Amino acid sequence: MNFRCLSVSVLSAIALATSQPAAAAPYLPKDDTVVLETLPGKPSDPTATELRSMRAAVAAAPTDAEAAARLALRYFELAMEQGDPRYVGYAEAVIRPWPENATTAAELLVLHGKLRQYRHDFAHAMADFDLALKSDPANFGARAWRVAILMVRADYAGARRECDLLAQYASELQAVACSTYVDATTGNARPAYARLLAALARAGEVDPGHQLWILTRLAEMAWRFGDAGAAERHFRSALALGFDDNFLLAAYADFLLEQGRAAEVVPLLRKWSRSDTLLLRLALATRALKQPEGEKYVRTLGDRFADAGLRGEKLHLQEEARFLLDLKGDARAALAAASENYRTQREPRDAQVLIDAALAARDPAAATPALQWVEASGFEAKRLRDAASQLKAMKP
Amino acid sequence: MNTKFLIFLAFLFSAAAHAHKPSDSYLALSVEGASVRGQWDIALRDLEFALGLDSDGNGEITWGELKSKRKEVESYAFSRLNVFSDGKSCALSAADLLVDDHSDGTYAVMRFDADCGGRAPASVEVAYSLFFDIDPTHRGLLRFERGGTAQTGVLSPERPKLAFRAGESSPLAQFTDYLREGVWHIWIGFDHILFLISLLLPSVLILKNRTWKPAERFRDTFWDVLKVVTSFTIAHSITLSLAALSVISLPSRLVESTIALSVVLAALNNLKPVVAERRWAVAFAFGLIHGFGFASVLADLGLPQGTLLLALVGFNLGVEVGQLAIVSAFLPLAYLLRRSGFYRGVVFTGGSAAIALVALVWLAERSLDVKLWP
Repeated sequence: MNFRCLSVSVLSAIALATSQPAAAAPYLPKDDTVVLETLPGKPSDPTATELRSMRAAVAAAPTDAEAAARLALRYFELAMEQGDPRYVGYAEAVIRPWPENATTAAELLVLHGKLRQYRHDFAHAMADFDLALKSDPANFGARAWRVAILMVRADYAGARRECDLLAQYASELQAVACSTYVDATTGNARPAYARLLAALARAGEVDPGHQLWILTRLAEMAWRFGDAGAAERHFRSALALGFDDNFLLAAYADFLLEQGRAAEVVPLLRKWSRSDTLLLRLALATRALKQPEGEKYVRTLGDRFADAGLRGEKLHLQEEARFLLDLKGDARAALAAASENYRTQREPRDAQVLIDAALAARDPAAATPALQWVEASGFEAKRLRDAASQLKAMKP
Repeated sequence: MNTKFLIFLAFLFSAAAHAHKPSDSYLALSVEGASVRGQWDIALRDLEFALGLDSDGNGEITWGELKSKRKEVESYAFSRLNVFSDGKSCALSAADLLVDDHSDGTYAVMRFDADCGGRAPASVEVAYSLFFDIDPTHRGLLRFERGGTAQTGVLSPERPKLAFRAGESSPLAQFTDYLREGVWHIWIGFDHILFLISLLLPSVLILKNRTWKPAERFRDTFWDVLKVVTSFTIAHSITLSLAALSVISLPSRLVESTIALSVVLAALNNLKPVVAERRWAVAFAFGLIHGFGFASVLADLGLPQGTLLLALVGFNLGVEVGQLAIVSAFLPLAYLLRRSGFYRGVVFTGGSAAIALVALVWLAERSLDVKLWP
């Protein structure tokens, strides 16, 4: 018995009584026509048809590394587009028969590495990419992923070295994209933006997928050095390409939320609640607008974090910290999640949530590594720098 | 699609944090004596990927489509699950098929019985391989229950087997378990707390000329509280025992609605007194109904067959301990404050009105079977 009830006033009992969650229970649907589940697509959709033929190719030739790589890559791509981790599992099943050693084709090793980085097993992922580069020194993907992981670890010198190696065999646009990616995170967002914009113009006709990536980066860079108009333009051009892209939508939603334009976020993300990253933004937007669905989204998100906890996985600490801080108002728990997250992931967003949580919890010491990163990197985003100065000025 | 572009996207996505609700199933096993029962929740999306449920190809799975594939679903699932009792395989037979909503979509809920040869198992082992061939990130989230205690585990391709000792816990441990459950139930059972508080609020007051005046002597207040609490206790102990021993049973909607009604009436009685000295009789009469409410909780916990009486006494004592804690927290405070305007205005009148309002909502919800607040 908890003797907090010494202070049980009638009113607090009522407050507690009204916050009891309704327990879900299995039920019998009313009749046969009740729709239980809406699938991501129909069997006749082009994606489903494509997957079927790829699966048939793998089944027909189980030792064909190329067929397996094609199917696994397509699954991985779908996971990224839709933010749906089930496809990651399907990809893993496809490449599982191939061992992680030098006898395996480079493309499959790259896939192994990607799946490992997805599970935040960065050390082994780096080794997989290394192995792929040994058999195929000009493998673009393996090099690009090494850069990406080094960026997540905030190892900018390492990332620059990889970009230099990449430049020896990549196109000019790819090389510039790589080096400006690092520059824009280390205090040179404006010149990096100008270089990337110029390289894009020089490149002439660019594959729409390339364009999507570069436009998203340009938008982020412009946002970073404070040109909201340019950022908005690039985000819109990227959206106009018509790709389903979890990352672009998340970045644009963050941009809109920071600008106080929550009303534009809701129609943008309404059909994306399957993705936790986007559901988080949707919940933040609807809560900001005081819309009734907001509480439903918050509950679903809480359930998903609880479910992930049951699996014993902690792949989503940055979002969980944001959820705890902005939607649950639990600064202490948010700070714990953000600190744990920052031990393995050190991107600007990870630093931001750690600093925000430390501010809310009035515990500047807890965000020391993020504050050091802001100093050392010279990262320019105003919101992050403001929060960092505010935190430094705070008396513990 | 250009593979170079896909590779290039590598940059982009490494930085993104993705959705993190991969495939899980929820498997619950409960052992009561020799009977082993289970419930298995499997996502319709996963079954669709493995078996194809969307017969008409419209991108939606209906209840009719699920039912028509019931045999296939059951044979697919149960061929990937083995339950062993003391090393011997149990025969699994599917019972009800239901559905439930989880945070990432709708799940098929399969209830099943495990025939383990009619002997109470000392150890139970679960071997699981559902979906591991098509999705190695799939996990089986297992909950193993026995005699009111639960253990959990995660089944994965790396660890597809989990074993549980199913040995009986000692009678003393069982007794304290049920005692704790009793305390816990009164602590979270707001309807019981509010009923008791409604009856106790006037204990520090005396009704004179149809208005409440502060009591003069603590002795009067003490006796009044003792009478109310004792009658409530005796009454609910009687019905709790009768219901737990299956002598009487009442429909739960009737019980829950009447409990809500009892709170409404007790609170209104403070605002417009009808019964004053004989509130103990009210406590007794409605206490009978509250006893049925406690019994339904006890039924949900499950009663150990061998030590039924022990569990019943433990649970009942737990309820009394919890109740006593509330009374001893409430009484001195209320007695000290009884002369203040704050007590009579805010706590007594405002509190009674608020309780009546809350209980009215409960009454409406429970009797009409609707949900009025989120």
